[in-house]
Amino acid sequence: MSETEPGAPTALPPATPRVRSLSVLPAIYRLLLATQVTLTRLLALGALGLTAMVVGWAIGQSDPADPVATAARFVNAFGLSLTVPVTALVFASAALGDLTDDRTLVYLWLRPVRRATVVVAAFAAAVTVTVPLVVVPLVVAAALAGGGDEVVRGTALAATVGTVAYAGIFTALGLRVRRALVWGLLYVFIWEGFVARGGDNAARLAVRSVTATILGAASGVDLRLAVLSTRTAYVAPFVVALVALAYASWRLDRQDVD
Amino acid sequence: MTAPAPPTGGAVPPPLRLVGVSKWFGDVVAVSDVSCTIGPGVTALLGPNGAGKSTVLRLLCGLTPPSRGEVQIFGADPRADLGLFGLLGLVPQQESVFESQRALEFVRLAAVLQGVEQADAAARRALAVVDLDPALRRRVGTFSKGMRQRVKVAAALVHDPAIVVLDEPLTGLDPRQRLAMIALLQRLGREGRCVLASSHVLDEVERFGSRVLVIARGRLVAEGDFHAIRALMDDRPHRIRVRTDDPRAVATGLLAAGAAVGVRLDGGAVVVDTDDVTAFRRAVAPVARAAGARLEEVAPLDDDLESVFRYLVGER
Repeated sequence: MSETEPGAPTALPPATPRVRSLSVLPAIYRLLLATQVTLTRLLALGALGLTAMVVGWAIGQSDPADPVATAARFVNAFGLSLTVPVTALVFASAALGDLTDDRTLVYLWLRPVRRATVVVAAFAAAVTVTVPLVVVPLVVAAALAGGGDEVVRGTALAATVGTVAYAGIFTALGLRVRRALVWGLLYVFIWEGFVARGGDNAARLAVRSVTATILGAASGVDLRLAVLSTRTAYVAPFVVALVALAYASWRLDRQDVD
Repeated sequence: MTAPAPPTGGAVPPPLRLVGVSKWFGDVVAVSDVSCTIGPGVTALLGPNGAGKSTVLRLLCGLTPPSRGEVQIFGADPRADLGLFGLLGLVPQQESVFESQRALEFVRLAAVLQGVEQADAAARRALAVVDLDPALRRRVGTFSKGMRQRVKVAAALVHDPAIVVLDEPLTGLDPRQRLAMIALLQRLGREGRCVLASSHVLDEVERFGSRVLVIARGRLVAEGDFHAIRALMDDRPHRIRVRTDDPRAVATGLLAAGAAVGVRLDGGAVVVDTDDVTAFRRAVAPVARAAGARLEEVAPLDDDLESVFRYLVGER
């Protein structure tokens, strides 16, 4: 080994402890919230919510024979199968994925901050922006479709719980792969939209079964993919999100950073 | 800003150290068996574009793990001890920053993430060091390349790190800012910090400081005092084009004066090979005058860094 006449260091700097997570979490959260929320995304996903409300209104005006079942099936088929996963995908995959793509991750990574803190902040930011963008329009759509209190309550619960699960999964996905949006859409449309319909076991591996179960239980309507017990439907998304965030933290720690 | 804490006794590991480090990406070897120790003061990492400088800096900062070998910051593995990042300030090469933030917000965030108490005051001080106004309302995304560079430097210095690593720090700076940046690096070095700055421009490196690591094609090809390396570079064979109205006479005169080891006529020019560029420079004008020839141009054909590095790695 060779030396560059370094001049022997005479001092070992004081050890720097990791920064306390709680003291930096709000700063990272605010940053990631600001980087995720762009006008284009808000307009595109706002339009999705608006579409749900317009269709819900149209259903309500058509005076269906069983308005509760019709409203629940509409919310399940459009809101919980499309609006919730796609909105969560766009924001959650961008939470850390955008930073990887534009090479700004280094400004968070090269700090004495636990990786889990960064990941939790990203997840929280994604949930913060996704929940109002999906819950409000879907609840309004359910009400306009004539679903009544049961469907409205079930929609709010299912959309919120579904957002938690999707945001966890897609936060990790955004860190794991480039073009996470494409992979996420493949998961949403191919796995959840097609494979999960093949049988109950496949359905149990889809977040959509969680949201369908919660909405079905609240509304009393028999919905496709509602194959879980109610307790499982409420617990599983949080477990899924926790596992996904743990994986994302592990992954971030081993990340090659530009 | 203050230098790191006083000694606590015992052997102190060097701030930065690479031991037999190689890094490959798929089939591409980016860094090959590099070993070096970098101590306090300013050290320049010199190499042409694509030589592996940025990869070496990323390895040293723990941003990427070595495929083989060991990387140490004060004797510890940076990828195993997050606390080490508190001792390190990095100015990455990329221009990207958090575009929607203002300069003060960007630097204050760095301070908060480094656990600096009174982050706002520290951020204002760091911005003042790089001559940026903390009250600037413009978003960083609208900054010029040079302003972004200075914001990044402020963010790297805000927590008073013992080690400062800068990837091409003079990129995008105007001449006045370059002088200020060089003075800042020298001051940080004098304060006892370990400052490592990369560059592909030889003349920049000369002003950084006296210690140089030269990297080419992923290998460490020279290291030590800048002047010794500069002399090594000047002592290599050179090829120079001399444009004149009488190339044949000038070529003959240069050979006779011993200022050339080979000449070739190329249209209205003489292409001269010399292994003593200083002697050539002294001889060329008198030779032309004696031959009654008028010199129109004397231009080195291989003075770019690429050819210098090719020479250093033995691929002339």
